[in-house]
Amino acid sequence: MTTHKQKAGVYAVTVTHYVTAAICFGALAGMIAFSGSAFTGHYFQPRILAITHMAALGWGTCIIFGAYYQLVTVILETELYSVKLAWLSWAMLLPGTVSLVYAFWEFTPGIWMQIGALLLLVSIITFTLNIYLTATKAGKQTIQEDFIFSACLCLCFTAMIGSALVFNFTGAFLLQGQLHYLRLHAHLGLACWFLLTVIGVSSKLVPMFLVSSYQNRRVLQASYYLIISALVLFLVDSYIFGLNIKTYFIAIIGIAGIACYLYFIYKCIRTRIRKQIDLPMKHSLLSFILFGAGIVCIPFIIYYYRANNQLNIRYTLIYGIILLMGWITSLILGQTFKTLPFIVWVRHYEYLSGKVKTPMPSDLYKNSLLRIQSLAFAVFCVSFIFGCLVDSALLIRIGSVALLLTAATYLINVFIMILHKTRTYDEL
Amino acid sequence: MMNFDITDQSAFLKAEAFETLRLVIDPELHVNIVDLGLVYDVKIDETEKLINVAMTLSSSYCPMGESILNAAKNCLEKHYPVYRTNVDLVWEPVWSYDNITDEGKRQLGLEK
Repeated sequence: MTTHKQKAGVYAVTVTHYVTAAICFGALAGMIAFSGSAFTGHYFQPRILAITHMAALGWGTCIIFGAYYQLVTVILETELYSVKLAWLSWAMLLPGTVSLVYAFWEFTPGIWMQIGALLLLVSIITFTLNIYLTATKAGKQTIQEDFIFSACLCLCFTAMIGSALVFNFTGAFLLQGQLHYLRLHAHLGLACWFLLTVIGVSSKLVPMFLVSSYQNRRVLQASYYLIISALVLFLVDSYIFGLNIKTYFIAIIGIAGIACYLYFIYKCIRTRIRKQIDLPMKHSLLSFILFGAGIVCIPFIIYYYRANNQLNIRYTLIYGIILLMGWITSLILGQTFKTLPFIVWVRHYEYLSGKVKTPMPSDLYKNSLLRIQSLAFAVFCVSFIFGCLVDSALLIRIGSVALLLTAATYLINVFIMILHKTRTYDEL
Repeated sequence: MMNFDITDQSAFLKAEAFETLRLVIDPELHVNIVDLGLVYDVKIDETEKLINVAMTLSSSYCPMGESILNAAKNCLEKHYPVYRTNVDLVWEPVWSYDNITDEGKRQLGLEK
């Protein structure tokens, strides 16, 4: 029997990342509930900065780190280089996030913000080194590896620019204003880290979960080069000239790359063997729709920015909410239930499977809670996003409550899974 | 679909072992590995008291691959304690939709 086995200790480090991320998601929902009025103003303000970093680091990045440690055997077809480096990265990611988010929330741009930024930078570099050494060990070059390693490098650059911005608060040394670098920092994080990661991972997992035979590498290669070209052009052009007429053309190149990826997903869905799409996969498919909605905001942002219209601030905020709290969150809310139950199941039942009747991975969580979570999240998306769009405090409040319910049901289900006790039914 | 030679003395045991593998369920698809067409061959070596299974997976990157192979081995060792079991993972012929039995397709919702 020859398949890629997990290294000892990967389970503990993976589950720790999932639990940390779930708790951060709960904290994030609480922070949003206490910051309703912040979503009707400018995005460059303490509450929004704190919420964005909790969402991007404590929630999105933390769970992606954990999932990577588990999925490298699938995606890079080799075992993780070092579990110790994974623990080291987590040990700096958690205090770094807490410190940075607290400093943003209270807006005290001093030592805690700087310590947080530096801890996060070292954590991210450690993670990238671990993934690089794992990929080197794998030996063979795949398009998924290109996506993933590019994503990791972008995350390092995001953290470097972020750290520079933090230190610039107390001793201005950057050549241009904070908002100018904030745009680069945000796009490196959102478009590069999250987008390239999502494409790299999902291009392996979606065909597998849907049991699709579609394997067109050229579509993914076209997607990779178009997106990378658009990102490099955007970073260089917007650093020198800011948003301008050329930004439309750069956006078209990027959207063409995304279209190639979406075409790949569409073909996987069309050629799937598994006809029933379960709730976690529906969550993932919703995330692609939300991603499309985020893309629709781009021309509005460029247009209103160039027209010097204040609406560009509103659309930028909505763009960020749709991508972070819509696209990324929906994807995680779904994919948690396509990964964590299997991770826990292997731990409890791999040695028993075939000998006695065991529960299936999908039996390890409460489906009723997952249904409530999905419904609450749908209410959040509609209510919160429209609330921000039409400046309605009531809709924002309804959305915040729905997000709290989403987080509570998600957190309970995560704990149900990780506290699962081995049980068998009867002899086969 | 496997063939059985009725002149072979181990044919009955081979058929029985093949049917026993229906107890192994793919944890993601919830369909047994025989109806998914993952089991290519079962051979019985009476002198060595060995059951050899040749099987594949629906995807070479399947994260549950090791579990499915272990489950097949566990299942046969439990039901045929006199025999040792060896499970070989093979990639030729490549698994496809056509390998799924009518019952498997029905369970996957592919055919009414």
